[in-house]
Amino acid sequence: MNMSDNASYPKLRLSGVTKSFLAPRTGLSTLAVAEMSLDIQTGEFICIVGPSGCGKSTVLNMIAGLDVPTAGHIQKDGQAVTGPGADRGVMFQDYALMPWQTVEGNVGFGLRHGTPGQHLNTMQRNQRMAHFIDLVGLRGSEHKYPHQLSGGMRQRVALARLLANGPDILLLDEPLGALDAQTRLILQAELLRIWGETAPVTERKTAIFITHDIEEAVLLADRVVVMSTNPGRVREVVTIDLPRPRAGKARTHPRFGVLVEHIWSLIRDEAYRAIGGDESLANPTQETTA
Amino acid sequence: MTNMTSDHPATVWVRKLVLPVLLIAVWQFWASSLPAGSPAPAPLKVLQTLVDLLRTGSLLSATVQSLGRVVLGFAMASVLGIALGLMMGASQAVRENLDPIIESFRPIAPMAILPIAILWLGTGTPTALAIVAYASFFPVLINTVHGVSRVDRKLVLAARTMGISRWTILTRVVLPGALPSILLGTRLAMGVAWTAIIAAELAVGAKSGGGGSGGIGQMMFVFYAYNIDLNAIVVCMAVVGVVALLIDQLFRLVEKRLIPWKA
Repeated sequence: MNMSDNASYPKLRLSGVTKSFLAPRTGLSTLAVAEMSLDIQTGEFICIVGPSGCGKSTVLNMIAGLDVPTAGHIQKDGQAVTGPGADRGVMFQDYALMPWQTVEGNVGFGLRHGTPGQHLNTMQRNQRMAHFIDLVGLRGSEHKYPHQLSGGMRQRVALARLLANGPDILLLDEPLGALDAQTRLILQAELLRIWGETAPVTERKTAIFITHDIEEAVLLADRVVVMSTNPGRVREVVTIDLPRPRAGKARTHPRFGVLVEHIWSLIRDEAYRAIGGDESLANPTQETTA
Repeated sequence: MTNMTSDHPATVWVRKLVLPVLLIAVWQFWASSLPAGSPAPAPLKVLQTLVDLLRTGSLLSATVQSLGRVVLGFAMASVLGIALGLMMGASQAVRENLDPIIESFRPIAPMAILPIAILWLGTGTPTALAIVAYASFFPVLINTVHGVSRVDRKLVLAARTMGISRWTILTRVVLPGALPSILLGTRLAMGVAWTAIIAAELAVGAKSGGGGSGGIGQMMFVFYAYNIDLNAIVVCMAVVGVVALLIDQLFRLVEKRLIPWKA
């Protein structure tokens, strides 16, 4: 096998990935993710949706190398993932910014202390930091601390930090979940721009994005991985055939509603069960026709 | 409650001073009613003694000597306490190994190790340092361990995804994350260190019959046991209180400077 010939490998390959956890007291094992297999190509934007507890975050953590699969394996460019690395950047749900670092300190954290900045001198690091602070529209706030920033601005800091580290896979764990609706719309569009929606496919980053929001998934993704719960497994992989660039206009496309409705139909029953609702509520029309 | 209202700072100060001034006035009034030559301390006599003791320089040198011991003993305890606390916080194995030993020593008051310290180290500065270091070690250690355990785990995970080494994570993520708690520990430690040094010097003074160790506690012992001077003892007590207050303020200032993100 020629390892240098990356073209023959997908960017990321999950084969039979399974994760079970031992409950600390009872010693019982729970299956969080079962037999997940998926190939992701370079430049693809993948969204993972599913009800709470379907193991979405666990999948992301395993790809990041923060969690180890119980069975199956994960390969990046044909090489086994054995631990965390700066080639797979993570954006955490609650941003995980260092409260003692300013915007600049947070964005440059990996560059200064980790592998991404090893080959750079101070000037190059500062340039890189400034570039990404600019890119996410935070110029002028470089010396502010996270507690002085709004939720949307913190999210931008986390995004700039992620990009400054130059990962070739972006792992985003519900990054927009905590934001208000308007900020969310703006940042979805920005995310698409930064990912490279208008650029040729070869220049795009590979992105895996977890969300609760089906519309968000359809707006962003090339493919949406719909997961079901207990145990978490892939229910269906839905290809989103909406034309790009989508920012600002995809929602009015006739296919948009159809795709959203289709994905919703896949997780509807479980979503109702998860909130403890009556399952008949899930599909009232079915009840009357039955 | 008062800091919730928007009173003028001057008003707040006046309110804080009313009771002490009143108490001192009552004390002076009571002391003036005593027959002349009474050994009872009185505010005006205390003030006179303070001026005398300052003029001879003995009060200042005793205070400086005590402070020097506190600072040195405290520094030794802090270095050891923070280093050990970081290791205990970062490694469960280290924590489980050391916890029983630390928890057994913690309830033993600094004064309780004084007999052994005097027998082993004599009645001079080494004993004073040992007492101070022992007293301030525990607040530093316990607050460091607590601080490390409270560091957001997500921050450590985030650092790992940036290709940051374990050692750098300890110094660049865990240490600053635990810093607020560590600084609280050092402030508490400095407080108990200052209390412990006075007690230790008093006791060492007793043991060495008024000679030997020096320091403000020793000075108090001499005024108590040899030239029974209650006014001078009150001066010493007041100096101890004022120095403690200044140390506390200094530490709060340092805290504000070192953790600007908590502002």
